[in-house]
Order: sequence, then C-alpha cells, then structure tokens
Amino acid sequence: MASPVIRSEDERTEPLLEPLTGAKKRIRIAPGRAVIFAVLAVVSVIIMYPFYFMAVTSMRSEAQYQLGRGFSLSSWTQLFASVPVAREMMNSLLVCTVAIAIILTLSTTAGFALAKAHFRGHGLVLLGLVGGMMIPVQSIIIPEYVNFVGLHLINSYLGAILVYVAVGTPFATFLMTTYFRGVPEELVDAGRCDGLGYAGVFRRIALPIAKPALATVIVLQFIPIWNDLLVGLLFLQEPTVRTFTVGLGVLASSRVVSIPGLMAGSLLSTIPAAAVYVIFQRFLVSGLTLGASR
Amino acid sequence: MTTVRLENIRKVYSNGFEAVHNLDLVINEGEFVVLVGPSGCGKTTVLRMVAGLEEISSGKLIFGDRLMNSIAPRDRDIAMVFQNYALYPHMTVEENIGFALKLRKVPKEETRNRVREAASILALDAWLERKPSQLSGGQRQRVAMGRAMVREPSVFLMDEPLSNLDAKLRVQMRAEVSRIQRRLGVATLYVTHDQTEAMTMGDRVAVLEGGRLQQCDVPQALYDRPANSFVAAFIGSPSMNLYEAQMSEDGLSLKLGSQRVTLPGVVFERHPALVGFRGRPVIVGIRPEHLHIPRAEGEPFFAGDIDLIEALGSELLVHFSIDAKSVHAGKVEEEPDALAMVSGEGIARTGPKVKIATGSRVEIGVDAEELQFFDPDGGASIWA
Amino acid sequence: MSSASAVIVAETVAEVRSRRLSLDRDRSRTGVMLVIPAVATVTAFLFIPIGEAIYYSMTNWNGITSQWIGPSAYLAMFKNPLFWRVLENNAILLLAVPVTLVCGVTLAALLNERVRGWRIFRAAIIIPTAVSWVVLGIVGIQAFAQNGMLNSMLGSVGLKFLEHNWLGSPLSALIAVAITFVYSLVGVNTLIFVTGMATIDPSVYEAAKLDGASWWQGFTRITIPLLRRYFMFTFVITAISAFSALFSLIFTMTSGGPNYGTTTIEFFIYDQAFATGAFGTGALLGVVLLVILASVSLLQLRLMNRGE
Repeated sequence: MASPVIRSEDERTEPLLEPLTGAKKRIRIAPGRAVIFAVLAVVSVIIMYPFYFMAVTSMRSEAQYQLGRGFSLSSWTQLFASVPVAREMMNSLLVCTVAIAIILTLSTTAGFALAKAHFRGHGLVLLGLVGGMMIPVQSIIIPEYVNFVGLHLINSYLGAILVYVAVGTPFATFLMTTYFRGVPEELVDAGRCDGLGYAGVFRRIALPIAKPALATVIVLQFIPIWNDLLVGLLFLQEPTVRTFTVGLGVLASSRVVSIPGLMAGSLLSTIPAAAVYVIFQRFLVSGLTLGASR
Repeated sequence: MTTVRLENIRKVYSNGFEAVHNLDLVINEGEFVVLVGPSGCGKTTVLRMVAGLEEISSGKLIFGDRLMNSIAPRDRDIAMVFQNYALYPHMTVEENIGFALKLRKVPKEETRNRVREAASILALDAWLERKPSQLSGGQRQRVAMGRAMVREPSVFLMDEPLSNLDAKLRVQMRAEVSRIQRRLGVATLYVTHDQTEAMTMGDRVAVLEGGRLQQCDVPQALYDRPANSFVAAFIGSPSMNLYEAQMSEDGLSLKLGSQRVTLPGVVFERHPALVGFRGRPVIVGIRPEHLHIPRAEGEPFFAGDIDLIEALGSELLVHFSIDAKSVHAGKVEEEPDALAMVSGEGIARTGPKVKIATGSRVEIGVDAEELQFFDPDGGASIWA
Repeated sequence: MSSASAVIVAETVAEVRSRRLSLDRDRSRTGVMLVIPAVATVTAFLFIPIGEAIYYSMTNWNGITSQWIGPSAYLAMFKNPLFWRVLENNAILLLAVPVTLVCGVTLAALLNERVRGWRIFRAAIIIPTAVSWVVLGIVGIQAFAQNGMLNSMLGSVGLKFLEHNWLGSPLSALIAVAITFVYSLVGVNTLIFVTGMATIDPSVYEAAKLDGASWWQGFTRITIPLLRRYFMFTFVITAISAFSALFSLIFTMTSGGPNYGTTTIEFFIYDQAFATGAFGTGALLGVVLLVILASVSLLQLRLMNRGE
C-alpha cells in the first residue's frame, strides 16, 4: 500500500512470465505440447540462423567463404586493421551516453512538472510534447542539417547528440509523465509536510523512486541511438567522430570489403545492443506496452 | 504547544463548488479533535487546508497567535499521517521516520536517538532496516505514526489513518493512537468517516456534512443530545430510528403511520419546546437500546413486524418494520453504519434470551424519557 | 492569546485575498522551471526545424539559396509519377504489418502455453529486434542473393521454381525488404502480445472450459477480443516503423533500387536532399511523411477512445 509504484514495477516482470496457473490445465484441450514445442523450435532455429551464418562466416577467410568450409580468424584481424573499431566503439558509447543522460535529465524534470507540479498551461505543454512524438527524424533532418552547418555542429558529437535528444525527449517525457502520475499524490503531500518544497519533492522522493522508469527510458533510447545510421551519416561524417554503426554502414556501401569481414563487424555491432536488450527486457516491455494498456 | 483556530474558513473550488462553508473550529492545546462525516462532506479538505496542502479560499487559520493562511506546509510545523501512509518506498523504516529531522538539519546523533525512541514506543525496533514494502499493513501504519511523532510538531493531522487496517487491528490501533497522542500532548485533528472511531478516540467530535459543521461536542453529548437529525442518525451504531410522525392536537399522542403512541408528560418536561409542535408533523427518534421487547408494563408502545433477528451473542438486534415513513438524514449511502434505515424499518436491541420469531408481530415498548424530536423543517432538534 | 488575535483581526479581507495563490506559487514556479529545459530543447531542435521544413517545402531550396514557389510545390509533387511510385512501395510494404501482427500473436499464444524451454524460445524470437537495420541489410544481401540462404532453403523444401535473384528486380527486392522487416519486428510484437495475454485472468479460461469451449474457441473468443487494445497498439507502432524506420535497411541492402523499386518515402527524402541536392523537395517529402504519421497516430487515438 505504501509503495504501490515500486511494487507494481517489480510485479510487472514476473506476472507476464509466470502466473498463469490456469495455463497448465488448459493444455489438456490444447494441441499436443510436443507440437507447440516443435513449432517454437523450428521458428527459433530459423530466426537464429542468420546469427549462425554471421558467426560462421566471420570465422572464415575470403577464400574459405567461397569454398564454404574452413576456419580462420583472418577476417577479424583484417576488420580491426581496416576499421578503427575501438575508436568507433568509443564514439558510439560517448554519443549514446551523453544523449541518454540529457534525455533523462530533460524528461524527468519535465515529466515531474507535468504530472505533479502543475502550472498554468501545463496541459498545453504536454499536448505539444506528445505532438512532438509524431515527428519523425526524417522530417526535420534537412533543416537541422543546414542549421548545424551554420552552427559548425557537423562532425561534432554535440550536433548528433542534439538531434537524438530532440527526437527522443518527447517520448521519454511522455513516459516519465505517465510514471509520475502513478506516484500517489499523498507521497508529494508527505514530503511537503516533512519539510520539502516541490523541487525537493522531485529530487528526494520522485526521482529516487523512478528508477524503473529511468531504466525503461534508457533501454528504449539506447537501441535506436546505438543502431542509428541516418543521423550519424549526416552529422558525423569524419572517420574520427563516426559511430560504429555508421562505420559499418559506410564499409558495407563501399562494397569492396570482404563478406567475412563485414560479418565480423556486424556481429560486433550487435553484441552491445543485444546485451542491453536481454538485460533490460522487463523495462522494455513496460515501456512498450505503456501505450497499449494506458 | 499550540492552539489551532479555524475562523470562518471557506473552500471554494475554481469550478464554483463550495466544499467547506464558513467553518469555525478550535483545537485546544493537547486536545484530540475528531472531524467525522460521510465521504464527500469536506472533512479531508479541511484537514488539507490546515496542513497547507490546499489553499484557504477565505477565513483565517491561526496557530497560537500566527496567521497561517499563506504559510507553506513545511513552515507550519505540522505532522500528518496519511490514509495510505505515504511512506517513502525507497527509504528504510529508519530513514522514513528520520527524514523530516534530516531535512531540518537535526544532528545525526540526535536524529538517531529520537528515531530509536519512537521506534521502541511503536515496537518497530526490529524493523528499522526494512523497506516499507517488506512490512505488514499494521507495521506500515505504525511507521507512519512514528514519522509524525518523531517531529514533535505543534499540530498533528491524521487523515483516516486506520481505514486500511483490518477490523481487529483497527480496534487495537485506536487505543494506541490515543495513547501516543496523550503522551505527546499535541493538538490533534483527526479525520475519519467511522463514527465509532470518532466516539472512542475524540476528546471532542466535530460532525461535518455537506461542508457545514453540524455539531462539535464531547462524544457523549453528541450521542445524548444530537443537534439535528443528521447527527442523530450518523452517530451511534446501529443508528437511531427516525420516523416522520404527527403530534396530536392535545399533545397526548403521536401518530406513527397508522398507529397511535401515547406521549407521557415526562416528554414535555424534557422537551418543553415540543409544545409548539402540537397538531404538527415532527420527526421522532429513538435509539435501538431504548426500544423494549417485550414491552414493560405501562410504557408507550407500538406494534412492528419482525423482519430479521441478528444474534450477536450478548444481545439481539431485532429488525422490524412499521408503516411509518423513516427519515434519511443526509447522504449516508456510502456509510454502512448509517445506512440501516430503509423505509419503515427500525432496529431494537434486546437481551439475548428474548424469544421472538421472524415474521411475527410484536409490541415494542418505548422508553419515553429517551425520545428525541426534530423539526421536519431543517432537522434541528427540539429541546427547550 | 487574545491580544494576539486582535492583531490578526486587523488584517483585511483584501489582504488575505491578495495572498490567495501564494501556496500554489511554489508549485507552479517549480513546475515552470522544471519544464523549461525540455521545452526549450525540443522547440529549438524539433519544432523550429519542422517549421523550417514546412517553409522550405514551398521553395526550391538547395541548401544555400531558395526561391519561393508556394503551395503549388505540393501540386507539382503530386503530379510527379515518381512520388506515386514511392508511395506505392510504401503501401506494399504496409502489407507486411498485418503479417507481422499475425506472426506475433501466434508466437505469443504458443509461448503462452509455457512448454519446456519457452524462455529460451522467447529470447530467440526477440533477439532480432536488437539488431541494427544496418546489420540486417548486410546479412540480407547474403540471404537474398542468388546463392543465398533463402534460395537454398526454398530448394531444400522443394520450391526450387521460386528461386530467384531477389534483389535483382524491383518487386522481389521490395518483398525481400518486407521479409526482413517482419523478421526484425516480429519479436517486439510477440513480446507485447505475451504481456497482453498475461493480463487476462486465467479464471476466464477456466470458466470457458467449464462452458465446453475448446482451446481454439478460447483463443478466438477470449484471447483475441481481450487483446484488442494490444492489436491496435502494435499495429500503429509497426505501421509507423514501416514508414520511418527502414532508412538504414534500404541504404545498406538495396540503396533504394533497383530502379526505385525499394525507395520508400523516407529514403526518397534522403535521396532527394543529399544525393540530388533538392533540399526543398526533401523538406516537402518530410512534411508529407509527417502528415502520414500524424494521421496514423490520430486514427489510433480515435479508435482507442471509441473502444472505451
């Protein structure tokens, strides 16, 4: 009762995985479990096959690939020789981290204001920000590009970061607003009685209990920024500032590189995003279904 | 030590709804005042205005000699216990209780001692390192109390703090809250919709309905001399039986539906003003324990059909119906306690050994000295 | 105490009234302070650019100079057969959305039976969603090549006559893009449906079983109707992805070809602006894309509100 917010977050993980006690009984009138198992297994194999292909191909030399057998790590060494992998990874990490940090700052403050610290016109601001969610990056990319040329923000991390922030903040704010709306008003009142102003309530109560929502924002922003090509292609053109995904895209479009090398790069780029995905899976679901269950 | 005074307090919402009308209320130093009323009567709004969580539209709120209307809650030196406890889920019990002290920059050592002391009074010693989510409802409630206690505030505010506990625990906590309040001797305003809680805990009880103060007095006075039919119906469980009746021209009897109940002279001794109601309609009230089955020799009576008998062990609650119209005082639909009356129904309380059968018609005796009368126009009680 | 209250009485009603909103001031002031950074950032880097895009869409802007054309720029675009060709590609791609939904709900229903190892299957099904479109494009080239995965798979199940150089002709290349799209998004759809199914009270199924319902009836009469909101939601996010998330895939896999066969409107924007230098045209297409997406979102809002 005292911590409905936190608990509902915790429960959100397992309920969707565990509690259908009726499920087992239902099976009796279901098609045989073996059939279900077989179907899922076949689908999983098909879905995982490209990863197998990537892994196997990356561990062959160009000649072995043509031949269809053999083992060699030469494409991996070639990849590291021809592409500044470490540098690009660092760039990716930097851009992701800073962009997400800014998005978190903007969305938590605005989300709290729109949910708990109402001011004249707060509804309009929320409406505007929600409206911003509909704007795809492609619609603003041209004016943004030209503006940033003027501001000398092309080939600077900041330029790309600002674009990611602009596109990511509306949804993150919507998410945080929804989350903070779920925080009982009594908690705000209790904080005010205990000696806090609204700013203090935000910093010392709302923010600490919003960790699950922060995780949701992080995972929902990390994947698209890490995997982005368009913004990076335009705003981070110099090899020194390129992100790994952009480097890979450029490498692929040059069409001279060996296929095993490309597969090695592909595999490498997939690992961080997949790791974030698996680790933060439950936060991903809660964020994604926010729109469905309201 | 502070006296709290509400002078002519009003709350008007921006949509024009007037939640609280010209409320006057005093909570003396160390006094426990319970604000009771059905949901939507404005009691929580009053509490929140005192806390500073809600603007006061007009009137004055005075703590001691300070006008508090525009003082922020954090500067009012109040402590509040919330209905859902509002414990900070990210803090341990110890941090929860000590939070206000920490914000007031009380030295760490002192904070620790005061938190421990409060915890030991509340038997929370063993739980100080737990998070609220790991506690039971009763423990959470005690943490909420501890958080308010440790502050040693000048005013205690409690918003239905026991309503989320199960019945047994609630009775236990009633006593505990009262004990703590007396120990601290802090002016306390306690809001509840439960009249039993109000009667058992309050030094004085203020009954609120429709944003208006109906009566404010010590519990027994509310029970014995309710100011109007609303208070009469609201206080007491089961509720007072209230019927529309017609006084005869000579004042010797009361027409209750198709029956006639004699009115002995003692009634006019106790209610001199009743003389003015001769030949006029009046609302008559009688508490269940003042109805007798079987009736005593010589006392006034009426006949009722027995609908239902609830055996509570120590007594019987006999539900009966007569063909008079019963009176519903105020909007009480959400309070089961006050809901007992459907048209023509009433309840009598008898000893456990009385032999009566459902469906039978019995004569029900009336303790005439305990009859209460209310003006049908407005419901004010008729005494002198 | 009485002398003190006399002092208080001296306060006029007007004075009290003038302070009426003082308690709310902390709240609204804090609210405004907290919302300003987000509003300023989004305004500067999202709303102003979209305004510029609308303005430049009616010019022949090339990034340096621009001449005003006016709304007739849109008319000219609507008369351009290439524009309709691109929209047609988008429309065909949109057909992949229901396929994704059906696959997603089917897989979710199977996962929901909790057969042994279902968590592993679930992980396998959602992993592709984490893979960037760039990687999918790179692998896709291999998958759809003449000697690629798809053809060898078709051959092994006796469908050799379907073998094809998939990326070699416009329509089959678009189909290849669509297949990759389904592959990438089926996981998210499944995950959402699994979540939705977990919200259904198991006792509903028990009751249905007592009424003599079969598994299939339970699925079609209970699961599907109760997941209505989830269907609408997944439809919208999948449709929006089909319009605005495929740039990287098309860039790496087909570069929009052959012969504009896989150029969707979002790729067309890039193509016009940064390959041709027609910034004005690119901006115009960006506005068209925004209008399409806004319509989809508003449609969703209306449908969802009507359902309540």
